[in-house]
Amino acid sequence: MSKFLKALSLGFSLAALPVFTGAALAGDPDKGAKVFKKCAACHAVGENAKNKVGPQLNEVFGRTAGALEGYKYSKAMIKAGEEGLVWDDATMTTYLEKPKAMIKGTKMAFAGLRKQEDLENVIAYLATFSSAAPSAEDAQSAAEPETPEAEVETAAADATTPAPAPVSAPVSATREGGALGLGRVATEDEVAAWDIDIRPDGEGLPAGSGTVADGEGLYSDNCAVCHGDFGEGVGRWPVLAGGQDTLTEERPEKTIGSYWPYLSTVYDYVRRAMPYGNARSMSDDDIYAITAYLLYLNDIVEDEDFELSNENFAEIHLPNEDNFIADDRSEETHYTDKNEPCMSNCKDSPVEITMRSRILDVTPGSVDDDNAAGMGGVD
Amino acid sequence: MSDKTVSQSPNLSRRALLKAGLATGVAAGAVGAARADGDPLITEIQDWNRYLGEGVQSRPYGTPSEFESHVVRRDVEWLTASTESSVNFTPLHELDGIITPNGLCFERHHGGIAEINPADHRLMINGLVDTPLVFTMEDLKRFPRENRVYFLECAANSGMEWRGSQLNGCQYTHGMIHSVMYTGVPLKLILEEAGIKTNAKWVMPEGADASAMTRSIPMEKALDDCLVAFKMNGEALRPEQGYPLRLVVPGWEGNMWIKWLRRIEVGDEPWHQREETSKYTDLLESGKARRFTWVMDAKSVVTNPSPQAPVTHGKGPLVISGVAWSGNGRITRVDVSIDGGRNWKTARLDGPSLPKAMHRFYLDIDWDGSDLLLQSRAMDENGYFQPTKNELRAARGENSIYHNNGIQTWHVKADGTVENVEVS
Repeated sequence: MSKFLKALSLGFSLAALPVFTGAALAGDPDKGAKVFKKCAACHAVGENAKNKVGPQLNEVFGRTAGALEGYKYSKAMIKAGEEGLVWDDATMTTYLEKPKAMIKGTKMAFAGLRKQEDLENVIAYLATFSSAAPSAEDAQSAAEPETPEAEVETAAADATTPAPAPVSAPVSATREGGALGLGRVATEDEVAAWDIDIRPDGEGLPAGSGTVADGEGLYSDNCAVCHGDFGEGVGRWPVLAGGQDTLTEERPEKTIGSYWPYLSTVYDYVRRAMPYGNARSMSDDDIYAITAYLLYLNDIVEDEDFELSNENFAEIHLPNEDNFIADDRSEETHYTDKNEPCMSNCKDSPVEITMRSRILDVTPGSVDDDNAAGMGGVD
Repeated sequence: MSDKTVSQSPNLSRRALLKAGLATGVAAGAVGAARADGDPLITEIQDWNRYLGEGVQSRPYGTPSEFESHVVRRDVEWLTASTESSVNFTPLHELDGIITPNGLCFERHHGGIAEINPADHRLMINGLVDTPLVFTMEDLKRFPRENRVYFLECAANSGMEWRGSQLNGCQYTHGMIHSVMYTGVPLKLILEEAGIKTNAKWVMPEGADASAMTRSIPMEKALDDCLVAFKMNGEALRPEQGYPLRLVVPGWEGNMWIKWLRRIEVGDEPWHQREETSKYTDLLESGKARRFTWVMDAKSVVTNPSPQAPVTHGKGPLVISGVAWSGNGRITRVDVSIDGGRNWKTARLDGPSLPKAMHRFYLDIDWDGSDLLLQSRAMDENGYFQPTKNELRAARGENSIYHNNGIQTWHVKADGTVENVEVS
């Protein structure tokens, strides 16, 4: 047995034993479908599933680790496969509990599933996309078809939040006040739950703090898989750092350091929408730490002990703040010139074609589309 | 290839059909031409003429004919890192009139499509109001409502064309637009229900999706013509368009039309959210960047012929068709050039002319079969004329991404194929 598998089997005895002792998969694939939402930003399953940030997971059970053709694995994952790692419910459980503990060097930034039931459910869900059952005795359970309830549930129905009031007893009651008396008064807790926005002057910042050093680990676990270890961006994912003094160049690099006007936007956005596919999962302190680390990656702070908090937040200004101006399109010549446009003989000589799209045909379905990386973008 | 083969081959790709059509059009003359023994589609009894078709309720929610299966939204894979934060495009070249069918309205998401049971949906109004309120969908349907047709254009529509012609098809160059009749409640009524404080100058709508999309909107606009909409083209909003509730911000960039609308905060200053600082700001050649560039200026494009819709019938009568729109009101005129902008003719506007809605124009010509350089130039009710792309580049450089409303040129060749080009 290789050193790797020995280490793995030690892990099993602690972490995965409960799974082995159960006769069948304990998980519920319907509930697993919901857990999988945490994975879906990077992994696809089902018909036409393609590799995304992570490999597609159809037929994952029985597959040798790091062996799916067409996906670029970390060296660590390829090595694990070469040393004999095959995905079944036990190996998958260990991996999903704490990916980096099992495969040091895996590209997967996901920190892991803490709840045993989430682990069981997501594995049961993945099993519905594999013809090989996760383990022999689970064949029956894994073969069960998905029920209609597997349809996507709303975030509001999450087990950790109270169930919404039934339709027959609407929470709204007619109230005194406005012209129509419609709606009801929002409670303080309700406003606090949704009103998380932050303005440049610091209004809305929660009490808390985090250091550059704290942020490095959090960034590495939650952000680096898309944004790169140094904020350089992976593939077409946003670049977060660098790019200073490029805004007048032919290919400007618009990053937090080179372009964004306000630091409050970083905190606000990370808090409301990141990490991508698992929004609102980090603590306020964690977000201070990540924001501090992003300042460090952009050379705006240089001390690894720097601590960002609600106290000193508004003192920090990003370098490009003064380069934003109001919409002055109306001063451009073609706006101010109100003359009737020319209708005939508007150009001295017959018109020449100066550029054709076929020179760089990146249109979907065109011959060169496959290796296309066109210019420009939508975002 | 016979006519019958074409009509019976729904699985042929659009490209194959186009090629087939072109070959027929050029080599064999107009499709449907009489033969010595007569067109078999007429002389022979067809299956659909003999046998009964499907009965009522075979399609409880109607879907297009199988022969229209190529008429779909399409995306450009290399544009974005993931489909959950991406865009697809309306097939403008397959549509007519001024209304976009719901299933063909382009999509732009930043965190995928939120699936929300309307019974679980809430709209909160908070901030600088007398009483912070929560509404259910039922509550919202008790407000007086309005029906309005508006276009929605993404600020980045034509954004890939700043440095020159790149994508071959108006679906890709101009397809981040749709035009729909909305049913909804004026935002003004909802804000007044909560009572706006005197120092309130801005509102910030927020979405319930995984990106919790937010934008700052000045109070003046909020009280003017914004709608909180729950229907499009008479039926419930589609999930990808914000079901059950979206904001309608007429004439302004699509990113502000918050989908899955769950909250509107009232404040005295803008919030400078990610989508109005890092994105949706227009970088100029000087290195300065414009922010809060909300209005979508007058713009037009010829949709037929265009690269995905070549001329298949040879010379003779040709309908040049297109769409025009302005975020500042009605379109009052569209001029069309067939020689790359040297000479212009005023096209015919047809169908309803509504402010901040799509307009349809036609120019009916007798094509002599020679090369055309097709352009269209829109004018709105304020006398603003759509600029050339080079005028825009001279004023802004090539890195603005957003608000490219320059005049588009299509090169129609003698064989009927069409290419996206730039001209002198």
